[in-house]
Amino acid sequence: MQFNGLSLEQAPPISAPLRFYLTAPLFAILAGILILLSDVSVLQSRYSIDSIVIAHAITIGFMSFVMLGSLTQMLPVLAGVKMYRVDLITKASHLALVFGTLFMLMGLKFEMPLLNTLAIILLVSGFLAMIVVIFMAIKKVKNFTPTVRGMSISLVFAFFSVMMGVFLLFTYIYGGLAIYRNIVANTHSVWAVFGFAGVLIVGVTFQVLPMFYVAPKFKDFYQKRVVLFISLSLLLWMIASLFYETYSVVAKLWIVLFFASFAVVFLQKINNRKRKISDITLLYYKTSSIFLALGSVSWIVDEFYFSEHIVVTSILIGGFILSIMIGMLYKIVPFLVWFHLNAMGYMNIPTMNEMIDKKLALIQFVLFVASLMGFILSYYVSTYLNLFAMAFIFSMVILQYNIITTVLIYKRVKKTKPDFDMSAFA
Amino acid sequence: MSSIKEYLTHDHGRCDELFAKMEDSAATSLSDAKESYEEFANATERHFQMEERVMFLEFEAKTGMTEGPTAMMRHEHAQMRSLIKQMGEALEAQNKDKFFGLSETLMILMQQHNMKEEQMLYTMAQQHLSAEAPRVVDMMESMIVE
Repeated sequence: MQFNGLSLEQAPPISAPLRFYLTAPLFAILAGILILLSDVSVLQSRYSIDSIVIAHAITIGFMSFVMLGSLTQMLPVLAGVKMYRVDLITKASHLALVFGTLFMLMGLKFEMPLLNTLAIILLVSGFLAMIVVIFMAIKKVKNFTPTVRGMSISLVFAFFSVMMGVFLLFTYIYGGLAIYRNIVANTHSVWAVFGFAGVLIVGVTFQVLPMFYVAPKFKDFYQKRVVLFISLSLLLWMIASLFYETYSVVAKLWIVLFFASFAVVFLQKINNRKRKISDITLLYYKTSSIFLALGSVSWIVDEFYFSEHIVVTSILIGGFILSIMIGMLYKIVPFLVWFHLNAMGYMNIPTMNEMIDKKLALIQFVLFVASLMGFILSYYVSTYLNLFAMAFIFSMVILQYNIITTVLIYKRVKKTKPDFDMSAFA
Repeated sequence: MSSIKEYLTHDHGRCDELFAKMEDSAATSLSDAKESYEEFANATERHFQMEERVMFLEFEAKTGMTEGPTAMMRHEHAQMRSLIKQMGEALEAQNKDKFFGLSETLMILMQQHNMKEEQMLYTMAQQHLSAEAPRVVDMMESMIVE
C-alpha cells in the first residue's frame, strides 16, 4: 500500500470542489423560482431589483461557485501548487458565500439593511479568503504558463468586481451614494462577466480543450496575448465609460472582437478535433460558443439601439458561461469520483460513463437551451415566460440530480468497500 | 537535437493521436479496433518506460529526489496501465460501454498527468539535466521496451 494516497496527497480532498458544485444548481433553481414569481414588466429592466436579485442568484450562486470549486481543483494540476489549508478555507468560504448570497438576495428584495450589511461582511470574507489563498499558491508557481496567467488576471478582476459589488450593495444601505450606482454597476457587471468569468474560461480552455479532445493547439500568439488584450480592453472600457462616454464604444468593440473571435476559434478547434467522440460536454461546449458569438454581436449591435436589448445580450452571455460550466461539470464530477475512489485503492468501480444517465443529461440540455431561448423570446412576447421558467427550473433540478447521484456513488462505494485490487501495483 | 522536454512532449502528442485513432475505430467496430488498441497501448507503454527506465533515473540521480514528483508520476503510470489493461479486456468481451467508459477516464487521467509532466517535471528535468540532454534523449530513443 505504499502508493496509496500519493496522488491524493496532491489533489485537494474531493469535498473541496464538490461542495461548490453541489450548491451551484440550487441557486439556479432559486433563480428560476424567482423568475416564476416576478412580474414580467419588472424583469425587462436591468436595473429593477428583481432583475438584480435573479442575476446574482445566477452569477454568484451558480457561476462563482463553479469557478471557485474548479480553481480549487485545477491549481495542483495546471499550476502544480497546493492551496493553504484547502479544506478549512473552502469550507469556511463556501459557508460564508452561501449565506452571504442568500442574505444579499433577501436584503435587496425585501429592502432590509441589516441583511445587506451581513451580506457585505460574508461575501467579502468568503471571496477574499479564496482569492488571497489562491494568490498565495500562485506566488509559488515556478513555470508561469499562459493558463496560470489567465487564472491570476481573472482573480484580479474578481477582486475588483467584488469590491465594486460591495460598494453597490452599500448604496442600498446608505442611499446617499445611490447616484453613483449605475456608473459603478456598469463596470462591475462587465468586469465580473468578461474579466472574472471570461478570462478564466479563455485561459483554461486554450490549454484544456486541445488536450482532452486532441484538437489543434491555439496559436502561440493567441495563448500569450489574448488574455492581456482582453484585460487592456476591459480597463480601457472602464476609463472610457467613466470619462469619455462617447468613445466607450471603441473599447466595447475591442472586447467584443476578442470574445467573438474566441467563440469562432473555439468552435473551429472543436470541429477539427481528432477525437471524434461526441458527448454531452461537447454539445454544451458547442452551444456555449454559439451563445458567445451571438451575445458579442448583440452587445455591439445594441449600441445602435441605446442598449435597449441589454437583457437579451445578458441572457446570451449568461448562456455562454452557464453552458461551458455545465458541460464541464458533466465531465469533472464523474472523474473526481472515479479518481478519488481509484486513488484509495478501489478498482472495481463504475466507469465515468456509467455514472450519469446519458438520456437524462440530454433532457437536461434540451430543457436548458429551450428555456434560455424562451427567456429571450419573453423579452418581446411575455405570454409564456412562466413556461420557460418552469423549463429552466426542471433542467436545473435534473442537473442537481445528476450531480448528486454521482456523488452518491462515491459514498456508496466507500461504504461498501469492495475488495482492493492491487494487481496494478504488483 | 531536441530537448528532453520537447522530445517527451512530442511523444505525448503521438500517443494522443493513437488514442484518437483507437477510439475512432472502436466506435465503428470493437473487433476491428484491436490493432489500433495494440498500437496505442504499445506506444504508451514505451513512453512510460522511457521515463521510468531512463529519464526518471537520471533525474533522481542528479537531484536526489526519489520520493518527489517522479514517485507520483510512477504511481500515475500504474493507474493508467491498469485502465489500459481493463480496456483490452473490455475489447475482448466486446463491451462497448465499458470500453468507452474506461477510455474516457483514461483520457482525463492521462491529460492531467501530461499537464503535470509538461509544465513541471519536464521543465525541471530540462533544467537539471541540460548538459546531459542529448545523451538522455539518445538513450530514450534507442531503448528497447521490456
